[in-house]
Amino acid sequence: MDILTTYGTILMALAIIFGLYMTWGIGANDLANAMGTSVGAGAVTVKQAIFIAIVFEFLGAVIAGGHVTSTIRKGIIDPAGIIDNPEILVYGMLASLLAAAFWLMIASTKGWPVSTTHSIIGALIGFAIVGIGPESVKWDKVMKIVASWIISPAIGGTISFLLVMSTRKLILDTDNPLKNAKRYAPFYIFIVGFIISLVTLFKGLKHLNIELSGPESFAFAALIGLLTAAIGWYFVRNIQDIPNENREFHYTSVEKVFTPMMLFTACAMAFAHGSNDVANGIGPLAAVVSIISSGGEVMQSSELPLWILILGGSGIVLGLVTLGYRVMLTVGKRITELTPSRGFCAELAAATTVVLASRTGLPVSTTHILVGAVLGVGLARGIGALDLRVIGNIILSWLVTLPAGAVMAMIFFFTLKGIFG
Amino acid sequence: MPFRSTSPLSRLLRKSPFKPIQEHMRAVFVCICSLPPLFEALFDQDREKVLEHAEQIRNLETEADKIKSRFRLNMPKTLLLPVDREDLLNLIADQDSLADICENIGKILTYRDMEVPHTLKPYIDELLEGTIEVSGEARKMIEELDELVEVGFGGGREIEKVSKIIAGVRKSEHNIDGVLNRTRQELFAIESELNPVDVMFWYKIIELLSNISDQAENMADRLLLFLSR
Repeated sequence: MDILTTYGTILMALAIIFGLYMTWGIGANDLANAMGTSVGAGAVTVKQAIFIAIVFEFLGAVIAGGHVTSTIRKGIIDPAGIIDNPEILVYGMLASLLAAAFWLMIASTKGWPVSTTHSIIGALIGFAIVGIGPESVKWDKVMKIVASWIISPAIGGTISFLLVMSTRKLILDTDNPLKNAKRYAPFYIFIVGFIISLVTLFKGLKHLNIELSGPESFAFAALIGLLTAAIGWYFVRNIQDIPNENREFHYTSVEKVFTPMMLFTACAMAFAHGSNDVANGIGPLAAVVSIISSGGEVMQSSELPLWILILGGSGIVLGLVTLGYRVMLTVGKRITELTPSRGFCAELAAATTVVLASRTGLPVSTTHILVGAVLGVGLARGIGALDLRVIGNIILSWLVTLPAGAVMAMIFFFTLKGIFG
Repeated sequence: MPFRSTSPLSRLLRKSPFKPIQEHMRAVFVCICSLPPLFEALFDQDREKVLEHAEQIRNLETEADKIKSRFRLNMPKTLLLPVDREDLLNLIADQDSLADICENIGKILTYRDMEVPHTLKPYIDELLEGTIEVSGEARKMIEELDELVEVGFGGGREIEKVSKIIAGVRKSEHNIDGVLNRTRQELFAIESELNPVDVMFWYKIIELLSNISDQAENMADRLLLFLSR
């Protein structure tokens, strides 16, 4: 108790710094990956991508980010064992943040495909084992999260597979693909707006003091869907068939319709990323803030203060602006193999899956769902070649990340404990 | 700090294998198109020109070979492709043998200063024309591969289009069979007037030319495999 009152301000400041560090890392790498597809397809420039990211990442974090945050904060660890020593939990959360951010930075410089989500969860488990005791880890919850890492890319893959099939049936495989592309484009864009907003609205926006009933949510989502569809229609309506361009590749004009459509999925990706991944950085921060501000109350279930969500969004944007744009450039260059029509299907599927996961409070990996979605396109025979060895690398990086985050969190935990007593 | 992209996505996506196949086919087609000038020089008895054209074909074949090797080295077994990897490798092997045949013909003409029976010329010309036609159709077929990826190699109009081209290749090959028969009959009719070893080589050349259209038809069959689910 004394420790918290004596060092409260310092610990709070540390939490904010570590939280910013972690969210900075997320923005520098993770978000850049999520938006790379749109940049690679030439749908948006890097500048536009950063602008979209700033706006929609924020919106995603503030509007839909709360659920995942509470899972990170309260869902994985049961702090009942240290109810009399709230400072232990504070050290633990600080150590976890620092460990995850540190591991993320090491992996980013080495070029390993680790996930921000895996880093923080590994770190939390690591701290809980030494700080509270192995029984305090909610292993069933952890297993659920691990299972979702397999299930969520599978869902993303299934959706993208179906989307590719639908574009084929409705647009590509018809007498006049361009005409049909323009006809169905607003419909696809409607889906982007409708699904994302519906999933976001469905459980209500309690933390923003907005309560919508089921039908109201439906109506509002449909309205947003129609609005995006109208904007989309405005973008694609003037695309003309230029026969000269089609000589090399017959679907050049059709792809031109999909290019502006990716603008919408880019927004959706940023929104989805914000709703899910921002929690990795601010979940532990929120926990520290709630313990200190309540004077050592470990078990309380206060609402997440809005300023923390905003702080997390800022950290991510900072990471994107300082380093992420460079990552985005390299990622974008290397995924030009994905045509706009395929990229659109993959991004729409991924964004939908991530937002869906966010609503259920599951911390999932955006990048890996995107990988699942791209695999779905590949299984629909829509991509020249996919290197399946990468799947092995991903699994390996998962296996390594959990213990690496855990060990580092343990070291940082004992260090902090040593410093503050 | 060197921040490298950790995106599994950009590693997952490999360059489309259909681009190098198309590039290779274009190179092979240039090889085949060099055959008429080679024979023209032979019938003109212009030894120097014959050597020059043969050399040119040899260089083109080497170019195609390089594309093929690069392609094969970039096709690990872990790739997820819209078509069977084996079929793709066989397809490029078929294409490559077209260039090899051209090179062989060039070699034969350089090794031997052959006697040229002028009554054979119209037959050879017709044969060459047919060979170019059937190879051109085969190349057209390969150029459609990108579009086939877009429609997933299944059903619909693009498939109909490619099926038509494939039917065209087969028809051209069938026509060449007729020309081949007539050419051989003509060669048989005049063979007593020629040097026996030259006759042997002429039969060989006719056979090699027939191999080109055979291989083009093989390619059509491979592509048919892609289309069948």
